[in-house]
Amino acid sequence: MNGRISTSMLYQQSLNTMLAKQARLAHTQQQLATGQKMVTAKDDPVAAGLAVGLDRTLAELERYGQNANLLQNRLGLQESALARVGDAMARVSELTIQANNPAMGAQGRHAISTELKAIHAGLLDLANSTDGGGRYLFGGTADGNAPFSIGAGGVVYAGDQTQRRLELAPDTFVADTLPGSEIFLRLRTGDGRIDAQASPGNAGTALLMDFSMTDPAAFDGGNYQLRFTAPDAYEIRDSANVVVGSGSFQSGQSVAVAGLQLRIEGTPATGDVFEAGPAGVRDIFATLQGLIGTLQANPVTDAQRTAMQNSLQSALRDVGGANNRMIDARASGGAQLRAIDQAADLRDANSITIKAALSGLRDLDWAEAISRYNQETTALQAAQTVFTRMQSMSLFNLMR
Amino acid sequence: MSNLLATGSSALLAFQRALNTVSHNVANINTPGYSRQRAEMQARDGAFNGYGYEGNGVQVTDIRRMADSLATARLLDSGGELSRLQQMTVLSGRVDALFSDPATGIAARWSGFFDSVSALSSSAASPADRENMLAQANSLVARFRQMDQHLDRMDVELNAGLTASVAEVNRLTREIAQLNARVGGNGSASGDLLDRRDQLISKLVGHTGGSAVAQDSGLMNVFTAGGQPLVVGTVASTLVTSADPYRPDRLQIALETGFHRTEMGKGALGGQIGGLLEFRGAVLDPALAELGRIAVSLAQAFNSSHAAGMDQHGQLGGAFFNLPAPTVAANAANTGSASLTAQVTNPGALKPQDVLLRFDGSNWNATLASNGATVPTTGTGSAADPLLVNGVAVVVVGAASAGDRFQLMPTAGAAGAISVAITDPGRIAAATAVKGSSDLGNLGTGRLSGMRVTDSSAPALLDPAAIEFIDANQYTLDGTGPFAYTPGQAIDHNGWRVVLDGAPVAGDRFAVGATGANSSDNGNVALLANLDDARLLNGGTLTLNGAIGGLTTSVGSAARQADYAADAQRVIHDQALAARDSISGVNLDEEAAELMRLQQAYQAASQIIATADTLFQSLLNAVRR
Repeated sequence: MNGRISTSMLYQQSLNTMLAKQARLAHTQQQLATGQKMVTAKDDPVAAGLAVGLDRTLAELERYGQNANLLQNRLGLQESALARVGDAMARVSELTIQANNPAMGAQGRHAISTELKAIHAGLLDLANSTDGGGRYLFGGTADGNAPFSIGAGGVVYAGDQTQRRLELAPDTFVADTLPGSEIFLRLRTGDGRIDAQASPGNAGTALLMDFSMTDPAAFDGGNYQLRFTAPDAYEIRDSANVVVGSGSFQSGQSVAVAGLQLRIEGTPATGDVFEAGPAGVRDIFATLQGLIGTLQANPVTDAQRTAMQNSLQSALRDVGGANNRMIDARASGGAQLRAIDQAADLRDANSITIKAALSGLRDLDWAEAISRYNQETTALQAAQTVFTRMQSMSLFNLMR
Repeated sequence: MSNLLATGSSALLAFQRALNTVSHNVANINTPGYSRQRAEMQARDGAFNGYGYEGNGVQVTDIRRMADSLATARLLDSGGELSRLQQMTVLSGRVDALFSDPATGIAARWSGFFDSVSALSSSAASPADRENMLAQANSLVARFRQMDQHLDRMDVELNAGLTASVAEVNRLTREIAQLNARVGGNGSASGDLLDRRDQLISKLVGHTGGSAVAQDSGLMNVFTAGGQPLVVGTVASTLVTSADPYRPDRLQIALETGFHRTEMGKGALGGQIGGLLEFRGAVLDPALAELGRIAVSLAQAFNSSHAAGMDQHGQLGGAFFNLPAPTVAANAANTGSASLTAQVTNPGALKPQDVLLRFDGSNWNATLASNGATVPTTGTGSAADPLLVNGVAVVVVGAASAGDRFQLMPTAGAAGAISVAITDPGRIAAATAVKGSSDLGNLGTGRLSGMRVTDSSAPALLDPAAIEFIDANQYTLDGTGPFAYTPGQAIDHNGWRVVLDGAPVAGDRFAVGATGANSSDNGNVALLANLDDARLLNGGTLTLNGAIGGLTTSVGSAARQADYAADAQRVIHDQALAARDSISGVNLDEEAAELMRLQQAYQAASQIIATADTLFQSLLNAVRR
């Protein structure tokens, strides 16, 4: 710098200094007012771009959280509905066992059947539970109308079998409520794999006590008939009515039928038939309806009583199966709720990381900013003082 | 004696002139561009008196203008550059603020829209969530439009700025030429006249950039940053604005010298005009185009996904967004009858840059409008085989003549024309278009899952289809087959795909058919909710979220870069100013000292007159009788 400086330059320079300090002070003030070190993207373009992405991710996580609340609510409703269905099933088992008591008279059975009718109606209402938002819980995705209704041949399902899946954390999907068909319909009869029953027209007093699959390799999945050719002799026919085996019978003895085993007690009459084969499907309402029908009959002969007993036994097995299904459904609901919690943990962990990153990108270091603010204020005041002092300094002032 | 008087009065005169110069300096302390002046004094030639030379007093030989042409040239140069960069800073700062402020930027609305889509995926049949998604979609496209309009308005402002600057430049060039005429031929022009000319030149260069070169005769020639003559001697060129040949709403600048016309291309002009043009080319246009690209890609991807879904009325979803076609502008000088229509076919290959299409008589050549780089193209331009340029299909209608040029703007302006196509919330296609179910009498454990539409335009998409197992390992599909079954296999048919798992047994049946009305299925909306994270851009490497962040960054760094450059230039300019002022500027203290010095000298000279008088009186007294 050469020794000469013009007066206007002197003024201009100190004015420029003041203006620059003022601009910096204004920027710091804005930072302090907003609590952010980025006032606009130009303060740190890369961080600003990153922050836009992170903000979006954070908003997405929050939205997932709200979605999860909704799902939790629906699964909670499913759980309570299924718990009540389970209670009803327990009551049905209890009543069936009571009815199966030989001492029970027609009057008692009538009372039981009346209660069962009420349970049937209650179950239908539970199956048509709503989610509080005007949609039906157990209708799959066709849940705009009541999924279950009573038609000519029993209860008709109008829902579908689609189970929604909701995204509750990035790439973490949790299933929504089960469709009604998977809870109340398509229940396997018997023990779930095979089923056996006494023919309703049997004239003897033989009871089917138990059945099981003893040799899965030998069972070909076909339907077999155990036909008594005499009270102490039987033959086995396959679905084509071809005799595939025969043997002699003693009460309480297990009879092997093509890999299955049937235990029959009592005295069969010649021509009595027991059927065994793969389990079929039946809905819970049909099982109840059948039970009610059985109980409304009034058996007189031993054979009729035996038929009722056989029928009640069979119903008891189906009710047990339905109860198991309910337990399975509740267990899967519980697993879904757990998955919701896990998704929440994942979201929380992600969101803490993202918030920390965002804060690092954007948030103001208050201590630093406040001390900077003080420093800048002092600097501006100093610049102003210098300016006023400089004004008074002129040789012309001394020429008097 | 008379010699003494003459010497004294010469000193008085000289000091008066010098004092006058000092007062002129003090008077012009605040005159911009003023160069201080000095009275140059010289001893008069002495008179030879036989014994030697006797001094004859003093005379003012020159009022010298204290100026250094080097310092002035440096200041001129830095001033032009500074006004260019300041223009850039101010304008880029506005775009930056527009994009950064949550109240005017796109990011918040963008996030809000995708949140509403995610909300709908949790309760696909809820009328409230559907209404909300429509409202958010409308608010998103409104924000796209607002931003586009805001940037468009800046473009209009730029036109106004250019027109005003051009008028000012033309006034300045004329004045400089006139001043040249007054200075020229007159060997010693007044310093004040030269100051005024320098001042005008510095204003001119502030508008256009460039440099001034002095001629031998004292004339100043001014040239633009690109070297075109603005003023040569006493001849001034004229800047004119004209409409861009592709976009009549946009002005460009040409220089007319006599009958010769030169287009002022990129870099030809600096200063304020250069700043305006550079901002338009480097910040405004890319921001507009990128905003458009995001809008186009969103709309395209959303529409194609939306079309694969089923709405609440049991209809396949149509377009969710209305999407404008890319603009193809014909050059005003085209002679052929061809007009071009364009359509975005591949968002992944879409690039925001403008492309020039030129017909050479048999083929179409594509080059980037910004730098002339060749852009690969395929196709001939017929409807059956459209010209494919950067993901855009261009169809030529009519006959182009050789040399005809068109400008393809793939995405610019698209953000301003996007809108939501549906108004009925029920028409949001949230459900997967088809659904599968197993027969309620099935004995096996086979299950259908993961149903999705692979081809929403398949004609038989909604036709019912049946999968029937003839035994545990074979199935027929709509009566055809049998096909072998592997658990977990995907079955593709009629444009849908479903996964069949479990162990079905003979006689098990599965049905696939159209999703009915009023379904609460969320399959399609769940896909839509994830579109913001799908890698749709730049050939499948960039997500839409990433593009939004990238746009913020690019606008922010343009503003930051302009800020930095302007700050640096200000320092350079201040230095240049200090250097010039150290030579030419007026210092009051110096003038005060000068004033005192001259005052004293003047007093001393008066004393010489007084002494001469005393001498004369004493002589008179001596001879008085």
